[in-house]
Amino acid sequence: MAVIELKDVEKIYGKGDAQVEALKDINFEADKSELVLIMGPSGAGKSTFLTIAGSLQKPTSGQVIINREDISKFSDKKRNSLRLNEIGFILQAYNLVPYLTVHDQFVLVDKVKKEDNLSKEDLDKLLEDLGITKLVKKYPNELSGGQQQRVAIARALYANPAILLADEPTASLDTQNVEEVGKLFKKLAKEREKAILIVTHDPRLEKYADHIYEMMDGKMSQKK
Amino acid sequence: MFLALKEIKHEKLRYGLIILMIFLISYLIFMLSSLAVGLASENTQAIDSWSAKKIVLNKNSNISLSQSILTKKDLKDDDIGKNEAYIGQVAVVVKSKNRPSVSAQFLGIKKDQFIYKDQVLVAGKRGKGKTEITVDSSLRDKGYRLGDKISLNGSARKYKIVGFVNNAKINIAPIIYGSFATWRKLRMVAPNVAAAAIVSKNANYKYNYKDAKTYPIATFINKLPGYTAQNMTFGLMIGFLFVISLIIIAVFLYILTMQKMHNLAVMRAQGIPSKTLVGATVSQSIILVVVGVIIALILMWVTAAVLPAAVPMSFTTTIMIAGTLGMLVMGIIGSLIPIRSILKVDPAKAIGE
Repeated sequence: MAVIELKDVEKIYGKGDAQVEALKDINFEADKSELVLIMGPSGAGKSTFLTIAGSLQKPTSGQVIINREDISKFSDKKRNSLRLNEIGFILQAYNLVPYLTVHDQFVLVDKVKKEDNLSKEDLDKLLEDLGITKLVKKYPNELSGGQQQRVAIARALYANPAILLADEPTASLDTQNVEEVGKLFKKLAKEREKAILIVTHDPRLEKYADHIYEMMDGKMSQKK
Repeated sequence: MFLALKEIKHEKLRYGLIILMIFLISYLIFMLSSLAVGLASENTQAIDSWSAKKIVLNKNSNISLSQSILTKKDLKDDDIGKNEAYIGQVAVVVKSKNRPSVSAQFLGIKKDQFIYKDQVLVAGKRGKGKTEITVDSSLRDKGYRLGDKISLNGSARKYKIVGFVNNAKINIAPIIYGSFATWRKLRMVAPNVAAAAIVSKNANYKYNYKDAKTYPIATFINKLPGYTAQNMTFGLMIGFLFVISLIIIAVFLYILTMQKMHNLAVMRAQGIPSKTLVGATVSQSIILVVVGVIIALILMWVTAAVLPAAVPMSFTTTIMIAGTLGMLVMGIIGSLIPIRSILKVDPAKAIGE
């Protein structure tokens, strides 16, 4: 059974002559422990896909099913709660809260989500796996790009979501780091049983993916 | 609160400047309020100390004690009990050898009436004869001592200070309490004049006959020369300061919120509820105001302690509480301005930027 499924999803922006069809008849699914790439050039609709799969906005038509529940008609409050509990985001610029230390990024999650977060032992193990144990007292501006990305991954996983959505996670990394990130995502998907969706135009990640979808002009097709 | 404290801790300079602004405004509000209350109190100290509720004046006096004269005919049917007292008032200049001249108000009072009996002496005794007087303790600060012999308006007759009284000022001038006979002499009134006014502690007291008319004490106080204008001026300044503080808090928090819109979008994308972000902004405002006000309060205490007694400043608990609450209300209202922007943050903006 798919953890996340999009059925006949369309997204249209604007009205009349200014109307833009950003997503056309999208059908997609991903199961737990799967690493899925969504590839395509700029303007193909990848980011729109991510915002709808991540319940950041509603589709114009079609269904978005997460954990067997159609969320396309959810209220803002319910979608907010869904994002908090079921979806983890790793954004392009990592986007850690700049005035919180690495440790406080997790405390913030604890403040708003009281249950089902990683235990202290699990968090320590995760930080160790990511090689950022010694960075917990540092602020984001004291970290390198790679370190910030690993902290962002840890933060996204801390709330123990079923789905992890990553937006261009290798955009500013060299080949060696891309390999490391690819391996890390693959490992996280398998060991932690997460469905990981990565929006990217980086072909160096293809070898780690279980499935690859291509997007072009708002349409999606499965490549692998 | 968690986000609010963490952000303030991390952005010390930015928030320190806002606290500095709030502190300066609060300090100015406390200072002006204290001066306003101090000055107002010096206008009405004596009246307050008498616990006066009503005053009978000549109806043609424009509710002014210094213009009022009540004749024996006016007071023919008056009802003077233990709560009523005659007073006669005249402006005087106090002079004594080796002492500075002081402008004062001479009040003639009767020994068998409550104003004489209720005098709160800080030194000495009540005056008995025609030449014995008790004076406001502020004269002691100016060098006058018990036993000093003074002249009033350059009189040949000398009057002996036998007591110092607390809270004896009217219209900012210190009061000299003396006999009715002395008042008659200084005021040079006709033999048919009985008094300048009757003061009553009884809220229901009423005596209207011929030219005599009863007024509530609040009406009388508001007609004291300069009293209302002075209070309105201070009130206006304090009101403007509150409005300025509201604008400063609102503008600063709005700018700060605009600067972190992307962060807010990211947090909303991560499912951080709006109420947490709104709560952080409101509590941030409260923290800034509380810290600014506390610093202002501390500096006010220091200021009040070092200022000379001649400065009419009264830094009371009421001012502390009212000023603090006023600033808190302004802070909370100010923090509501950026809330609309926070509630409208689009979490989708976190993607692809």
